[in-house]
Amino acid sequence: MDTSAVTAPVYPFQFTGRTGDYFRIWIVSLCLSILTLGIYSAWGKVRKRRYLYAHTHLAGSAFEYRARPLAILKGRAIAVLLFGGFAATGHFLPTMQWTFVALLLVLSPWIVVAANRFNAQNSAYRNIRFGFTGRIGEAAKVFLGFGFLSIVSIGLAYPYYRLRRARFVVAHHRFGATGFVEALYGGDFYAAYILAGLIVFGATIAAIVGGILLALMASVLGAESEPSRAVAYVPMALMYAVYLLAFSYLRARVGNLTLNGARIGSLQLFSTLRARDLFWLYFSNIVAIIASVGLATPWATLRMARYRAQRLALIAHQPLEGLAASPADRATATGSEVSDLFDVDVSL
Amino acid sequence: MTSVTPRFQGRFCDGATAAERPVDVERDGEDLVITGEDKVLRVTLATVVADAPLPGVPRMLALPDGARIETGDRDAVAMLFPPRSRIDAAAFWLESRWGAALGAIPVIASLTWLIVAIVLPLGAGPVAQLISPRIEIAIGRQSLDALDRVALNPSTLDADTQERIERRFRQFVEGEPGEENYELVFRGGALGPNALALPGGIIIVTDDMVRLAPNEGALMAVLAHEIGHVRGRHALRLILQDSGVVVLITALAGDAVSMSILAAALPTALLQSHYSRQFEEDADEYAFAHLRRHGYSPQVFADMMRRLQQADRGAKGDAGVVRYFSTHPLTEERIQRAEAQR
Repeated sequence: MDTSAVTAPVYPFQFTGRTGDYFRIWIVSLCLSILTLGIYSAWGKVRKRRYLYAHTHLAGSAFEYRARPLAILKGRAIAVLLFGGFAATGHFLPTMQWTFVALLLVLSPWIVVAANRFNAQNSAYRNIRFGFTGRIGEAAKVFLGFGFLSIVSIGLAYPYYRLRRARFVVAHHRFGATGFVEALYGGDFYAAYILAGLIVFGATIAAIVGGILLALMASVLGAESEPSRAVAYVPMALMYAVYLLAFSYLRARVGNLTLNGARIGSLQLFSTLRARDLFWLYFSNIVAIIASVGLATPWATLRMARYRAQRLALIAHQPLEGLAASPADRATATGSEVSDLFDVDVSL
Repeated sequence: MTSVTPRFQGRFCDGATAAERPVDVERDGEDLVITGEDKVLRVTLATVVADAPLPGVPRMLALPDGARIETGDRDAVAMLFPPRSRIDAAAFWLESRWGAALGAIPVIASLTWLIVAIVLPLGAGPVAQLISPRIEIAIGRQSLDALDRVALNPSTLDADTQERIERRFRQFVEGEPGEENYELVFRGGALGPNALALPGGIIIVTDDMVRLAPNEGALMAVLAHEIGHVRGRHALRLILQDSGVVVLITALAGDAVSMSILAAALPTALLQSHYSRQFEEDADEYAFAHLRRHGYSPQVFADMMRRLQQADRGAKGDAGVVRYFSTHPLTEERIQRAEAQR
């Protein structure tokens, strides 16, 4: 039936942000945030996001970020209270810290739903808003229920938990009136996590064996020699490199699986992230940021955004123009924005 | 009034479907006239809302019926719509200038330094005064429990030695404010020769430290230093400063990538170690005075420092041992100061 796949137009994503512009927005935001003891950071976040969205193009049109700074400020206040409380009880009353862990756990389904909803509702393309329809009850089942299952199964159910998470997030998004449909499979997730696990496991064994060999060599050659201390760090550095590699692999593979498994009507995303590219980007970004005492952060952000856009395309089996807004969004688009329990940015 | 009639081109999205149409927009008196391929729209200018300007980003106009017009003609929009938010207008003014952006760097650096090095330590003192000694004691108890679980073992010193040191210690704290809260505890374990002052008055001394001390005076030098920490409530103040930094970072960088948090934490960690050094100096000063009052020369302090330094060198490469000097830095300077006090 579905033979139109060959002829469907493919729209690549494009990122056109310029480092100079973004650097100025970023540094002004940082400076004003410190001057105002964190209050401006809400405005800064909106301005930074708006810049990134406005420079992400698809089929000749840009995305739009519409969040109001006050909603973000509310979320910031909650985050400061939660994390400040967590840090303070950690020092003052370690037994009380469990209360905060419990509180975070209980709140986590709400946090997940609120964060996704806030982000989706404030993202638009061609004046059509995204939306998120996930419910707290289901979020609790997925994040707490399957999260707990993955712990008691000593990690064996972890890929399944990640699958359920991805399904929950993808399937409850919508673009205007068009809901997302997920086509995500457990087998793919298991394959990805098993390979990542093998990479880390193999590297750990290799590092232990290598460390023992080096120690033996050092004792044979004479332990007095100072360079042997430096040599001992080599297996450790290699280990971290392998961890980063496994992390990059998961980011690329699971990222591709999740995006490619999302259908929006008869539109389909096509993501081709590569582990080796992400590895290099993460590694060079970390080095640049540390070497520049943080000043390279905006450059790193834009590099990553540019790469992600480069590797993403939309296959359109139907004209984009045919996608309609949700009636609910139309109702709130003009009047005062709804201010409910969810109108707060708690994305952590 | 209408000496200039800005006219610009834009892209119109009605908000009902994801279709985009090119339009011409023109001001006509109090109205905005939007001309598309097949129809003309007229809306009152005052009902149109323009977004806050951003450098390098097209402007977006929101019409009262939910439609939007995007335009790259930022000058025309700026002329038609004065900024609505002063915050955004000020931000835009700064963001549009390289001078302001580069000027922000020294401002950020000095403000961070000011907050971490001056405001937080200054604030931690008065805040520590607000915290009741009972809470401080409870914190110290819990810290000791936590240390007992992870790093410390029961002491293997014989009861006589413990009692002898304990007696001398009591003499040392006699007349101190909150004298009854002082408690000396002996512990074994992997900390090596070490002594720690916990909030509230608990002082831990390790078996290795007792064994390393050649005489009672040397051990008392170490204990006097720790009493100085307790007296100045240094442990509590450090905790408060750390919490302040955590809150500050959360507030500033709630959405930042963890990498930039790491980068931001580096200089603050350096400043923190500077300030814990200040605490060490204060505790030393106190120890010198205290030793003299009890008939010891500060030289015993210098001698003990030397011994610790040697023990530290001997322990080098002994992984897993938290060494005294990782928590008590800059010994050479401290030895010299002690000797100058003779």
